[in-house]
Amino acid sequence: MDMHIKTTEQPTRPAQRRYPPGDLALWIFILAELSVFAVFFSAYAFTRAQHVELFSTYQATLDCNSALANTLVLITASFFVVRAVAAIQRDRSAETVRWLWLAVLMAGLFLLIKGHEYAHHLAAGVTLSTNTFYMFYLSLTFFHFMHVILGMLVLLVLAVRTRRGHYSAAEHTDIESGASYWHMVDLVWIVLFPLVYVMR
Amino acid sequence: MTNTRSAWIVYLLLSGLTLFTWGVARAGYSGLGVTLLVLGVALLKGQMIGDWFMSLRGLRGFWRWVIVLWLLLVGGLITAAFMIATGG
Repeated sequence: MDMHIKTTEQPTRPAQRRYPPGDLALWIFILAELSVFAVFFSAYAFTRAQHVELFSTYQATLDCNSALANTLVLITASFFVVRAVAAIQRDRSAETVRWLWLAVLMAGLFLLIKGHEYAHHLAAGVTLSTNTFYMFYLSLTFFHFMHVILGMLVLLVLAVRTRRGHYSAAEHTDIESGASYWHMVDLVWIVLFPLVYVMR
Repeated sequence: MTNTRSAWIVYLLLSGLTLFTWGVARAGYSGLGVTLLVLGVALLKGQMIGDWFMSLRGLRGFWRWVIVLWLLLVGGLITAAFMIATGG
């Protein structure tokens, strides 16, 4: 009797990854940052619950058009960062540099628009001690503003290092880490925008 | 990795949902229902960023759900605060 062991080929699924793209240490840092923002958002919402009239009145003084522009600018920057990561994965360094520079440009535009908003408030005599709403508005948005500056610097360094040939399709962990950090900055603003400017 | 077509679709959806949120603000709508709708849209946008831009959708285990959990936590706390504010 012919004893053949018949083997049938099993369709293979690509193994699911366990860890996010980039350096895991950076993701721990992202988690810490997100936790801080979660506390900030909750403090804003629960303080608002005790001063609804005050918050609604002064929310109305904010420039919703600037906030819209800044949200679109951050989303666009994130899109450019996604394109940069996709480009380096295909070993297209020059293209990666272009997308990163465009993202840096968008980050700069965010800072300009937000800076203009701050200048307007300062000219109107608004400070941290004006009232509880402005204390939250200024500290929350400025904390985020600092993160945009850091994210912009990270993207800038990545653009320069990519141009100098530091990254390739085989090794681009730094770019993935920088991209993840930038998306975190975008994610926080996605919640901050409606919470501070829209929800009354 | 998010391919170019998916990135474009997510980008356009995020922009469209942002315009929707801005439209609600410009129209001057208020109240708990509108507030929760706007918050829900923000959480959906956050989920899209986590899944597609941060490339978490293909993972398994803790990291697959880390952004979802953060969004649920933040969304839950904000919802509770707004319900307390309206006496709901």
